[in-house]
Amino acid sequence: MKNGSILLVEDNPDDEKLTLRALKKNNIANPVKVARDGQEALDYLFDDNQPLPAVVLLDLRLPKVSGLEVLKRMRADPVRKLVPVVILTSSKEESDLTNGYALGTNSYIRKPVDFEQFSETVRHLGMYWLVLNEAPPVGALEKA
Amino acid sequence: MQTYPTRPQAAPLALNVPLEQQLRERTAELEAARAELVDFAYSISHDLRAPLRSIVGFAKVIEEDYADRVDAEGRDALHRVRAAARKMAEQLDDMLKLSRVSRSELTREPVDLGDLAREIATELEAAAPRPGVVFDIAPGLVGWGDRRLLALLLQNLLGNAWKFTSAHASARIEIGVTSAAGEPAYFVRDDGAGFDMADARRLFNPFQRLHGTAEFPGTGIGLAIVRRIVQRHGGRVWAEGALEKGATFYFTLPGARIETQAPVREAALT
Repeated sequence: MKNGSILLVEDNPDDEKLTLRALKKNNIANPVKVARDGQEALDYLFDDNQPLPAVVLLDLRLPKVSGLEVLKRMRADPVRKLVPVVILTSSKEESDLTNGYALGTNSYIRKPVDFEQFSETVRHLGMYWLVLNEAPPVGALEKA
Repeated sequence: MQTYPTRPQAAPLALNVPLEQQLRERTAELEAARAELVDFAYSISHDLRAPLRSIVGFAKVIEEDYADRVDAEGRDALHRVRAAARKMAEQLDDMLKLSRVSRSELTREPVDLGDLAREIATELEAAAPRPGVVFDIAPGLVGWGDRRLLALLLQNLLGNAWKFTSAHASARIEIGVTSAAGEPAYFVRDDGAGFDMADARRLFNPFQRLHGTAEFPGTGIGLAIVRRIVQRHGGRVWAEGALEKGATFYFTLPGARIETQAPVREAALT
């Protein structure tokens, strides 16, 4: 399994705990950094001392800075725009879907209520983004 | 004895303010109240998903991590907690669907209901083939209304007909138009499980089911959606049926037929 890290942007402590549990249950041992609001997420992503994550799991409803705003700022930056983003949200609203894709998310997943399904979803995400998917080349991820 | 609060009485119309103005104000109040209710239904169904997820998730945690300390009774209790949470999630999703019908913009144009019915029939047959089912779609069925909402309406009525004839090897599902009180009334008829006419009024209420989920699955939102769509078009919807003798659902779509080519837009309820 590749070594990329995961940035989980999630303000709900229960969802955070359940997501981490699902990752662990599915033997996804990659390091996980949790940001609990949009500002924390941006601070981490734009901190030159931190490695960029292999994938960002992004909730939409966040305090301080919204998920879509985080996405927007990532895509406005020549390096961060390459980082894969998976929107992971309760919302199925068409407007969120449209805006998410318009702003450049790679994927949009609606969080299922059922934990079995949730765990399956997390497993799929882990397998796909951390193992199957080719991450952007390391050179491009080095900050200028 | 329980007493219930009485509904606040609307203030009587003052006589010195022009009637037209009062009507306008009252209508505006009504529209605002409706919009609030719709927004409320939307945010409640949306925001309750997260705590439900917690309920399901942590019940699972107890079951898995404390398996040696939870006996069969305990596991049964946890299963019921999860089943109840899942059911609630389904109902919330249904409330969301219903509130979306109220929030969406309405565009009126001539819609070929026969075409829509044929598409839906094809989808139903593709998902679960039943060679004994016959769809009888009358020719020239055109209605005046919002294409998306009318498609949703027919999906629900035809889907129900499909579902409630599933206990029979052969079935007939008919869609056509007849006349009721001097206006055209479209109908969807099936010869399946039917219902007792004594229950007719309850049929269109949200989550009202006349059959158990073991017999026929569903939470009972389909007809509430149908009614809401018909109401948004200014029409009427009603049903006739008999137990095990099938059911017929009628609806009207008032409004001018093909007057102009351009669709007429109506603002959403916000």
